[in-house]
Amino acid sequence: MAPPMIDPALFDQLKAKIDEDTIVRKELDQILDNLNTHVSYTQGVLSRIHSTPRSKYATLLSQVEDGIKKETESIGKLSAFASQYPYYKYNYKWTRMVQDAISTVVLCAWLGGLSTESKPGELGRLLTLEQVGEVFNVPVNLKDQDAFHITIEEYLLGLISVVDELSRLAVNAVTLGDAAMAVRISGFIRDLHAGFQVLNLKNDILRKRMDSVKYAVKKVEDVVYDLSLRNLIPQEAQGQGQ
Amino acid sequence: MSGTKRDWSGNAKRRDGPRGPQKPVVKNAYTPMFEALRDELDAHHDRRERLVKASRDVTALSKKIIFSLQRVRKIERELPSNIQAEVDSRLAEIAKLLAAMAPEIQGINRYRYARSLMCLEELAEALTFSHYLRTQTLLGPDELASLVDDLVRRGAAPEDAVMADAGDTAGADTSAPPAPPAPTESPTESPTVALTLDDYIYGVFDLTGEMMRFATTSTALTGTLAGGASDGSADEAGDEPPRTILHDMHELGTFFEMLPVPPGNRVQWEKKLAVTRQSVRKVERLGYDRIVRGSERPKGWVPDLDAEDQAPGEEE
Repeated sequence: MAPPMIDPALFDQLKAKIDEDTIVRKELDQILDNLNTHVSYTQGVLSRIHSTPRSKYATLLSQVEDGIKKETESIGKLSAFASQYPYYKYNYKWTRMVQDAISTVVLCAWLGGLSTESKPGELGRLLTLEQVGEVFNVPVNLKDQDAFHITIEEYLLGLISVVDELSRLAVNAVTLGDAAMAVRISGFIRDLHAGFQVLNLKNDILRKRMDSVKYAVKKVEDVVYDLSLRNLIPQEAQGQGQ
Repeated sequence: MSGTKRDWSGNAKRRDGPRGPQKPVVKNAYTPMFEALRDELDAHHDRRERLVKASRDVTALSKKIIFSLQRVRKIERELPSNIQAEVDSRLAEIAKLLAAMAPEIQGINRYRYARSLMCLEELAEALTFSHYLRTQTLLGPDELASLVDDLVRRGAAPEDAVMADAGDTAGADTSAPPAPPAPTESPTESPTVALTLDDYIYGVFDLTGEMMRFATTSTALTGTLAGGASDGSADEAGDEPPRTILHDMHELGTFFEMLPVPPGNRVQWEKKLAVTRQSVRKVERLGYDRIVRGSERPKGWVPDLDAEDQAPGEEE
């Protein structure tokens, strides 16, 4: 008797694998829904920065930090669950959300939030990839271990969102009478832009999003130009931005 | 502080292309951080480029194997020796490419570069087709994995060993249906090329297309539907009539219809399934034609395959 065309066990074997994949994705979706809620909330709170004078940042930032704590919890759950499976198999499902979460953390820290014992919060502090990992309590840039982590690309894309947000803040800060802030932002964005130019980018998402950085630089420089033209830049800020 | 970029053969590359250090780089507090990130990203991009290149070669070789196999006229234990030789020499080339790729796609990198490794689907198609032509059965994913393991091992072996082994790369190991290939000596911890479930499933989807082509050509040229006893010399025909390729196509078609749609890539799945349905119908038509007008068909007449392929859906 010739063997059958298809081994009878094969169907069940494949079906089991497909079913497992389906279940994993469903659970991931739930975790990500949860994360999404917290990221959106935190982004929402952060957007109040555009209408808040610098003297009241502290209260606002403590609210943001609460949001970030929630984000951290969700990311912890995601990390525990996702680490059971090949990282890059499902990474596409959460990478956008993690980028947004990263940008809330980086922006909050830049505005002076997220102080730790070793590093007091101060305006203009840029968190590194490693420091973002510490905030979220997850590893970063794993290469030899197939587990959840924050990738370089996610960090850089998060930075780009922060740049966009800051270029908006520069305008609004001036409206609130805080010209020094615009100067400060101008200097920071210019430095970041120079940093991005160090990268050798392929024609990928990073390159496309990177394009917005130069427009942000220009936008803020225009603001500073307007201010300096009218002698509106306070003395003490003059050294920082230029 | 920057790492050394290397080309495909491992020689250090001078980094003085049009881009890069020639640009006056503005140094500031963040420059070192970005330089470190750049080196990591460069390593990633270089690795992906190497894989894409090798993958393209493996795909081309796999397609050539399939073309060779399409010159087979019936299902039997051994492929005709000239075809077997063609297949073997291509497999030996594939083996070397895979062995070179293997270290780069271990662990976390397997899925990271999954989209650059479409060649594995093509290889799965070639190997399952070759297996079908010799055994009239579907190669399972585990057997496929051990075949690929074996290829990688051969590719990693020193040059003379490859030459000595090349003769039976496919012949000896792939003809014994599910028998796991006996590794002569397994080098400790040698990296392998892991196939994903998708590589296998989509490879088998494409297999149905190849089977349809094979069924069409062989029926046209031999006047019988390829199957277990199609060569007349089959030893163990048994009492019931031997299975034909039409039966096998039906089984494969049903198999895919019954499987749940894998999440994540529904569109691709639906497309492949539609093509498979079409292939099954084409072979059904062959079976019908052979019964109804069998002897009327002039020997050597081959249906115009290209025309059929280019007008999908004509039968709907």
